[in-house]
Amino acid sequence: MKKISTVLLMFTFMISFGQEKGILKGTVYDKEFNNESLPFANVYIKGTTIGTTTEMDGTYMFSIAPGTYTVVFSFLGYETMAHEGVVINSGETVVLNKTLNSSSGVALNEILIQGVLKKESVAALLTAQKKAVAIQQSIGATELSQKGIGDAAAAVTKISGISKEGATNVYVRGLGDRYLNTTLNGLSLPSNDINKKNIDLNLFSTDIIQNVSVSKAYSVQLYGDFAAGNINIKTKEYHGDGMLELALGGGRNTAVNGTGFKKSEGTGAFGFYNRYNHNPYAVVLSHSVDPVKGWTPVNITGSIVAGKTFRFSDESRLSLFATLSFDKQYDFITGEEVDYSTVEKKKFPHVDKYETKSTTTSLFHAAYRIDDRNKLTFNSLFVNAAKDQVAYYGTQGLGANRDAKLNTDTGFYQMNVQFNQDIIYVNQLLGTHSSEDEKLEVDWGVGYNKVISREPDRKRFSLENYHYALDDDATTNPSVFQNNSFDNQRYFESIRDAEFTSRIQLSYLVSDRFKLLVGYDGKYKKRHFENVRYGYKNIASSLEVDPSNFNSIFNLQNISDGLIETDVFNAIYPEGGFGPTNLPGLLENTYNGKLTVMAPYIAAEFKAGNWLFVPGMRIEKFEQEISWDVINLLNNPGEASIHENLYLPSLNIKYSLHEDQNLRFAVSNTVSFPEFKEMAPYVYEGVTSRTGGNPDLLGQQEGINYTHIKDVSYSAILNLDLKYEWFISADEMFSIAGFAKQIKNPVNLVVANDATGTQRFFRTGNKAVIKGVELELKKNILVNSDGKTLLGTGFNVAYMDTKQDLFSTVSGTFSTSFDRDTEELQGASPLLVNASISYHPSFGDSVDAGINLMASYFSDRIYALGSGQLGNKIEKGFTTVDLIWKNKIGKHLEFNVSAKNLLNPAINVERVLTETKSVVIKSYKYGINVGFQLKYKF
Amino acid sequence: MKNTMKIAVAFLAVFMVSCAEDDTSDIIINATTTHNTTNNNGSENTSTSETIYLSGTYVEDLSLEATNTYILNGALVMASGTVLTIAPGTVIKALAAGSDIYVAIAQGAKINAIGTVSNPIVFTSDAAAPKAGDWGGLILLGKAPINSVTGGDLTSTSEIGALPYGGAFVADNSGVLKYVRVEYSGGKADGQSENNGFSFYGVGNGTTVSYIQMFEGLDDGIEFFGGTVNVDFLSVVNAQDDSIDWTEGFSGNITNAYVKHGVNHDKGIEADGFNTDIGNNSNPLYFSAPTVSNVTIVGLGASEGGEAVRLRAGTQGVFTNFKIIGFKEGFDLDGDATTSPTGQGVVDGLLKVIDITFTDITLKMKNDTGFTFTEATFISGDGNGTGTDYATWGAGWTVE
Repeated sequence: MKKISTVLLMFTFMISFGQEKGILKGTVYDKEFNNESLPFANVYIKGTTIGTTTEMDGTYMFSIAPGTYTVVFSFLGYETMAHEGVVINSGETVVLNKTLNSSSGVALNEILIQGVLKKESVAALLTAQKKAVAIQQSIGATELSQKGIGDAAAAVTKISGISKEGATNVYVRGLGDRYLNTTLNGLSLPSNDINKKNIDLNLFSTDIIQNVSVSKAYSVQLYGDFAAGNINIKTKEYHGDGMLELALGGGRNTAVNGTGFKKSEGTGAFGFYNRYNHNPYAVVLSHSVDPVKGWTPVNITGSIVAGKTFRFSDESRLSLFATLSFDKQYDFITGEEVDYSTVEKKKFPHVDKYETKSTTTSLFHAAYRIDDRNKLTFNSLFVNAAKDQVAYYGTQGLGANRDAKLNTDTGFYQMNVQFNQDIIYVNQLLGTHSSEDEKLEVDWGVGYNKVISREPDRKRFSLENYHYALDDDATTNPSVFQNNSFDNQRYFESIRDAEFTSRIQLSYLVSDRFKLLVGYDGKYKKRHFENVRYGYKNIASSLEVDPSNFNSIFNLQNISDGLIETDVFNAIYPEGGFGPTNLPGLLENTYNGKLTVMAPYIAAEFKAGNWLFVPGMRIEKFEQEISWDVINLLNNPGEASIHENLYLPSLNIKYSLHEDQNLRFAVSNTVSFPEFKEMAPYVYEGVTSRTGGNPDLLGQQEGINYTHIKDVSYSAILNLDLKYEWFISADEMFSIAGFAKQIKNPVNLVVANDATGTQRFFRTGNKAVIKGVELELKKNILVNSDGKTLLGTGFNVAYMDTKQDLFSTVSGTFSTSFDRDTEELQGASPLLVNASISYHPSFGDSVDAGINLMASYFSDRIYALGSGQLGNKIEKGFTTVDLIWKNKIGKHLEFNVSAKNLLNPAINVERVLTETKSVVIKSYKYGINVGFQLKYKF
Repeated sequence: MKNTMKIAVAFLAVFMVSCAEDDTSDIIINATTTHNTTNNNGSENTSTSETIYLSGTYVEDLSLEATNTYILNGALVMASGTVLTIAPGTVIKALAAGSDIYVAIAQGAKINAIGTVSNPIVFTSDAAAPKAGDWGGLILLGKAPINSVTGGDLTSTSEIGALPYGGAFVADNSGVLKYVRVEYSGGKADGQSENNGFSFYGVGNGTTVSYIQMFEGLDDGIEFFGGTVNVDFLSVVNAQDDSIDWTEGFSGNITNAYVKHGVNHDKGIEADGFNTDIGNNSNPLYFSAPTVSNVTIVGLGASEGGEAVRLRAGTQGVFTNFKIIGFKEGFDLDGDATTSPTGQGVVDGLLKVIDITFTDITLKMKNDTGFTFTEATFISGDGNGTGTDYATWGAGWTVE
């Protein structure tokens, strides 16, 4: 409470100046473009930082103390013009319009390119943020490029209150994947990963991003399933006359040594796999199991970007833009992993992972501007992302398994060889139309998305007495561990998502002070999941074990000779004598999910003096269905479904304290629904953990005796935000925000009360409350005489306090219990800090150089909630430091160097045992990635 | 130029995909089946002999007759309030289908399976050449206390099928098992858990269990998840995992038990004080503490390695009149000073062995508990054990 009053005091202070001023406004026109209005032009008072950037319609407005000024108009590539002797009187408005023309000696197409690039610049985005009716932050291509950010995942972490866990999980204000949504050009995007709701933002390279924005406050245009934020990726648009750019790069992870890199057998250099059309059992019989020698572990990137505009008339044009990029990255990851509950069940003090990632991305964008008032856009995105990982657990012979048969103290060893391929297609058709008087605007979009995510032929083998393979004694050998047929297994999984998504919005400007918005969003999504596994059983003890040659045991000949047998969960036709042994089987687990959302909404924008009020109401009809057929569950096959009508009011208020300062307030009701994977009672068995879904999250099944969670099918959320923002200059800003959220019946991942320690999703309490403060600063430290920033800094910090109450016991199909009443929220770091320094040294006129050093830190947070007698799993905080050095040499060439993860910290997860004692259950070092890139623009 | 580009792009796509190998052969299954599938799935009792398929959840009583052939082709679950009655001499053959083939007596249901010495009741595999793990096993779930929950009516869910078990009813009655043999059980439930021959989940001491055998099981012979049930005349032959296993605060009596290991085996007895995956959540705190008397455990010989008894996770228990033959280790004790105070039990006299004879044993006791005590503190009457008289009580109805 004390903190909040401090914040309020600050606001009051800021409000106290900014009165008795006059207003300067007008429109800037573009002579080179038929006197169309010119957006993003700079308008400022000479010799001061007072000024602004023109809006999309070329207009500008700012207030200023009475006096006589020289007003300067500038736009990149255009002649800068000054208007002297502008007299401003207190309380009066002066209108000053200006037409800018291109400076001599600069080619027109280049100006256009640069002009468009301006839309992605820091200044333009800050202007958009300033103008936005809701709380929103963006990062654009210019900043991404300056900071050497390679993809959207890294991009969002440059926004306050956002952090990344591991390679792919993004947290907004401490809330993870399940509380976020990702959209592409405002239309929903599917996830590429069975375990996630949001797509891996790493898949969006900066080549195809115009900007990435994060809406932390809700507005009715967003789907009601909103808790922490909506991430929108806007794909790049091209407006120039023609361009072609080639880029090539290379690099290496410093942890990779030598050339003995490993990969899965049968996978291709471009991240494809060609055996999907065969029955998995045919793959099991036909192909060997050992990993093979990989490619030389030198990272490679390459891309082609091309654009072209066809002009049909002054008003009408077609712009095409296409990119194709390929990226191959090799990482060698070392560390340790332990499965520790109340005792040490499995430990691997030495784990080595060879990881090869191959990513192909292509984007095709066509924008057809029919005339000034009508525009159609088509986007088609294709991504193929493959990860090939060969992991050895328990190298050096020091692993242990509490339930081993021959030796529970030492020598337990597992090999996991896994290839994941995700193919994503996104197709969108978007349109914007406006009436002649520009009072009515229509904005619509339809999309069809498809995701195919597959894990073909994952191989996992288990040995006991592995240390016998390391000694020089030829008479001792490791043994195959076979407690269960699936201790040695081959696993096949496939998930297919298809999604239709649509939106339409009509906005009508009733008067200067009142705008009405009416819209409708609809989406339909379905998922099909299936997997099958083959295990090996009755492995003859006469077979000699060589850990580098599993092929010598798990081969077709040994099956024929009866020395090993294959096993499967669901026999193909047991009634007819076709059992699970040495025969193909039926699918092991399947589930199907369906989601339909239909949502009309209405909102209004009222302007009253310095106030802007945006009340809105969204009505959402939400239907979700899940059906499953899984192993080892009595209530099977089963299904659960919900139908809800939700009424989601919201109110956003903006008060302009000053022409460059805003005070914002937002309040809204939203919801959080469980995801398919959280509800489907299928269990994924990892090397050291098991995770499964729980249909109890819907609380709707007949015949289940629920404790606390009957009929609770979603979390109702109340969001409150208060923000002060000060746009110090075109590319400098300061903001401070306070936020609070209440999430009813929150979902947490906890260990279920069963005999196997499976982690499942449970509604763990009545409510969670989150309170926090965020601060953001972008500041130039050294500026040269041309106004160019030589040394700049960016800093943002978020501090949060979270608390959720816990039920003493939760039960339904599955049950769990807690020995304490309250806990922090899972995934929420109390402290998040991001900081960057950029320096632009001078290497002569032909070189435009920029060096950026970026650091981010998050404090310890709960990774999984401890249940029963188990302590929490804690993800330990760490700091990441990246260095990027970019050089534009002349007009065509660019040479960039980067070094990422400079501190190379051990990334740890721990299990808390007592207040003072915890045990490390995961610790990995990912190595430093150094690379270079050479770009040529024709 | 444009066309060339298009072709180039198409070529590139084909090239990228084709870089991965295929070379996968097709599977052709050459087999004929003569299996008789003309029968019904009904649960009606009939006096004439027929083949009856059993599976699904029964909400009414079910009686099985010795004259019929029963094929278990899924999970057969007796819902609360029902009774499964099995006549002496009845054979229930389980389909060797891989997984989810088991018989479960849910909380509040009863089994009355009373065989005789000459006509035991047999649960076995349907396979022509049966093997351990062909099917699941027999599961009883009751309302007796378990220490994986805090107490009262709270339940946990079973490793197999996710069925509820546990409660506060010490004298809960799940029925009678007498002269019952389970063969070729231990089929996998998922990639890390398997069925046992007999699984007793929170079964109360109102239940009668006498003269039962597990023969050729892929996993444990008999496992107790908490509960208070007493078992006498127990035979476990060729269990590939542990022959007798307990956890979650089991506190019944085991009297007269015979354990014989085959080529593939784990421990004779593996005992946990609580379920280490979720912790000991009982309040007041208690650990497994059964009374185990008159037991013979036969291994493969000290030179073949192996352990007869592993005591972990704070288990307590009084082991009286034991005979252990042919293991590298007799008793192996694991624990720590905090959550798994196995050694504390020894120091306090709650975990001890009275009267035992070790034959062909290299090491009688291995202490990894973190507590210091002598072998004499743990074992008294070394040389006085006679074990159980299996030749007498096991005659007629068991197999080996």
